[in-house]
Amino acid sequence: MSGPYVPEIATDRDGNQHEVQGWQDDFYGGKLGFWLFMFTEVLMFGAMFMALAYYNTLHPQDFLDASASLNRLLGGVNTVVLLISALTMGLGLLNMRVGKVKEAKLMIWATIILAAAFLVIKGFEWRAEYNHGIFLMHDQMLPGSSLPFGQKLFFGLYFTMTGLHGFHIIIGIGLMIWLLKRINAEKVRPDHHILHWNIALYWDIVHLIWVFVFPYYYMIGAGGVTGGH
Amino acid sequence: MSKTYFDETHCAIGHPKSKFMQWMLTVDHKRIGIMYAAVMFFYFFIAVATAFMMRLELFAPGGQFMDGDTFNQAFTLHGVIMIFLFIVPGIPAIFGNIVMPLMIGAKDVSFPRLNWFTFWLYVVGTVVAMSSLFTDAGFADTGWTFYAPYSINTSTNVIFTLVAAFILGMASILTGLNFLVTIHRLRAPGMDFWKMPLFVWGIYATAWIQLLATPVVGITLILAIMEKYFGIGIFDPAKGGDPVLFEHLFWIYSHPAVYLMILPAFGIMSEIIPVFSRREIFGYRAIAISSASIAGIGYLVWGHHLYTSGMADTAKVIFSFLTFFVAIPTGIKFYDWIATMYKGKVILSTPMLWALGTIITFTIGGLTGVTIAMIGVDIHLQDTYYTVAHFHYAMLGGVVFLLFAGMHYWFPLVTGKMYDEKHGKISFYIQFVGFNLLWFPMFIAGYYGMPRRYFDYLPEFQIYHQLSFFGAVIFISGLVYMFVVFYKGWTKGKPAGTNPWNATTLEWHLPSSPPPLENHSKVPYVDFNPYEYHHGHPVVKFNYETMQRID
Amino acid sequence: MDTNTIDYAKERSGYYKILVGLLLLTAVTFIQPHMFMTESTFMAQMLIAVVKGWLILMFYMHLKGETLIIWMTGFSLFIVFTFFAIVIGVDVQKFQFQDESHITSSATPIAEVGKESAPSAHSAQ
Repeated sequence: MSGPYVPEIATDRDGNQHEVQGWQDDFYGGKLGFWLFMFTEVLMFGAMFMALAYYNTLHPQDFLDASASLNRLLGGVNTVVLLISALTMGLGLLNMRVGKVKEAKLMIWATIILAAAFLVIKGFEWRAEYNHGIFLMHDQMLPGSSLPFGQKLFFGLYFTMTGLHGFHIIIGIGLMIWLLKRINAEKVRPDHHILHWNIALYWDIVHLIWVFVFPYYYMIGAGGVTGGH
Repeated sequence: MSKTYFDETHCAIGHPKSKFMQWMLTVDHKRIGIMYAAVMFFYFFIAVATAFMMRLELFAPGGQFMDGDTFNQAFTLHGVIMIFLFIVPGIPAIFGNIVMPLMIGAKDVSFPRLNWFTFWLYVVGTVVAMSSLFTDAGFADTGWTFYAPYSINTSTNVIFTLVAAFILGMASILTGLNFLVTIHRLRAPGMDFWKMPLFVWGIYATAWIQLLATPVVGITLILAIMEKYFGIGIFDPAKGGDPVLFEHLFWIYSHPAVYLMILPAFGIMSEIIPVFSRREIFGYRAIAISSASIAGIGYLVWGHHLYTSGMADTAKVIFSFLTFFVAIPTGIKFYDWIATMYKGKVILSTPMLWALGTIITFTIGGLTGVTIAMIGVDIHLQDTYYTVAHFHYAMLGGVVFLLFAGMHYWFPLVTGKMYDEKHGKISFYIQFVGFNLLWFPMFIAGYYGMPRRYFDYLPEFQIYHQLSFFGAVIFISGLVYMFVVFYKGWTKGKPAGTNPWNATTLEWHLPSSPPPLENHSKVPYVDFNPYEYHHGHPVVKFNYETMQRID
Repeated sequence: MDTNTIDYAKERSGYYKILVGLLLLTAVTFIQPHMFMTESTFMAQMLIAVVKGWLILMFYMHLKGETLIIWMTGFSLFIVFTFFAIVIGVDVQKFQFQDESHITSSATPIAEVGKESAPSAHSAQ
């Protein structure tokens, strides 16, 4: 970088001057681009939800049974963990915007820790399911087992979707660590925080996806059946 | 204006000294577009050669030199290259990159470094796609559609192709994203949406499809990979999975994808027709809106690929109904173009010849599409050569012909030189005749029941295959001829000047030809419509130093 | 950039208010199966999720006031809903081969069917 970017001026026939929007220093453009990227996430998870709804329609009872057998306590804790992490992320961004860089970094660290906690809890959940013989390419999920089709498909999609969601969390942690490095290098500053803004948006979309994943997997079978494993 | 990082190097990383590295690392949209073109045509010729091999095999009934499995791999290779490597990225990546920022008076796309990254992502995708050719298990033999459950069961290396298609899809998404933000943010002052050239409208509609349809196929391919290696069950009937779901998800992307191919091509047509008729385009807004509505309706018609797959009857009727609707905006465009030529001063230069030829071939391709959108007719014609001919009339005779038209039209802009008009016209006529001889017999063969993707056939179909073969020979010679003309034009052509066609849009108002880095010397103020002609002459004139209007 | 125009205390309390709202709604998800709309837990749960999603979009993601992006979001969501309406609402709802299809015959012991007719992708594993 050698010197700040100065926008060009275009002059119309009456001599009026109009500022030209360049690709440089375009905060709104960066934000718009990231929103467009998030639509692709929505479409991706939308397609998976469609696969889920597809088999739900074919096997409604199996889906309720399978959903009832998930561990709602751990799922609920994870929901709250993610919820609070969305708050810390938002507060971090707010601190950055008003110039409190140190507080912003603290908040990002808090988000990273909560994200890691989410993954650990998820790991315990998967392990419990594995011990029940339900895991990809394992025991109950093999073609020969007596688990009904609907339940097999439910769990197949459960591991795919929560796995992909977890993958997004891992990427999110990576992004936040990168963000901290950029803040330390003063590439992200209170007057130039588009990266922080977009990573906060990313974290919100990860949260938003969980807001739909959680009830569809854990809660639809909650009626009448109580407790998890 | 102070120098920025970008001004000094136009490279994504560092300040390389060598010319080669400057190209490899360039973020300049024009150079990236040219590199896309180079890579794409490299693969295009591989796919053409594969297709020619298949035509040779089909010259006579029975096996000649290819067995059935090899033939399966050959048509998969042809399909994968032509669809994922060539025609889907095709016009947006080449001309969307080179011309679109020039047309809206921008210095570059919104995210130049992302553009550079996208190009290399695309190159990685192509390499992954091709690499399975050199493995033991061989290239995929599923056809480019990867239908489950066969793609799950086949012993060939379908994983490479799936991963490649995913990577190429990512590249496509990022291109679309970049263009959308560019069109929203970087239009020159004064240029509102109704003052944009129609090619930009085409790119805009396309970019929405790239952005919102490609993720669906991306996740479908991931699910197919998960199915193949982790057995999640959703496409595997042994675990209750429904292959029809795969077809739904696949065509939710892949049908809009054909509109993704044709819309920027229509944009090129909308540029060429007014310029070579020396007349303002008829129905500017109708054409712009029809681009948007083709994109919109295009999302809702994927089911016509599933008429014979066991979809519910109600869904079939709805899809058939919606499919007819796509013909309406397409028809509007065609009538507008013809109305533009009426009472215009039509100049039959090579780009115009290609555009006019496309009006014929695409009309055939489009109308045969309407016939197979009917459920009853489609039951008879599904997966026959009729469908193959329809598809190639629409894609080769529509998209690729217009890509060639665009290549002739913007050749002087990109190279600064002029190709030989006479030879350009001859190559058009050769290809036009060859094209029709190649594909038209297939309509008849398909109508009589010749199935697609077979390496053998009954003797009564021989005449159609042989006609097709001769058509292919003529077409390919015309193709090679055209590229020779381009090559000669590039090396020995006369300097073209900045506006050889007397065109009106902003990409022809540049200070030099080929355009300098950072495009226009100053960003103009746009207070005029894109195609203003008065008595056959462009209305708007600029001083190319200050970019002030001087008319 | 917008440093001068931010009311820090106000925005921060906004974040906390939304947090409380979201936590309450999460609590509602847990009591809903025993409290209300028990005949259609699925619909109730999805409704709550939509409300939560709307809160996150509007406030945490600062969508409020962004006309262009709201329109674009609406368009994307509309497309997803259309896919659902057609594939789920029209096609699968009216699945015509319920009785004869292998994939809906979950009453039969899977093991036998698997051996006889179903093409297995994982016979090798």
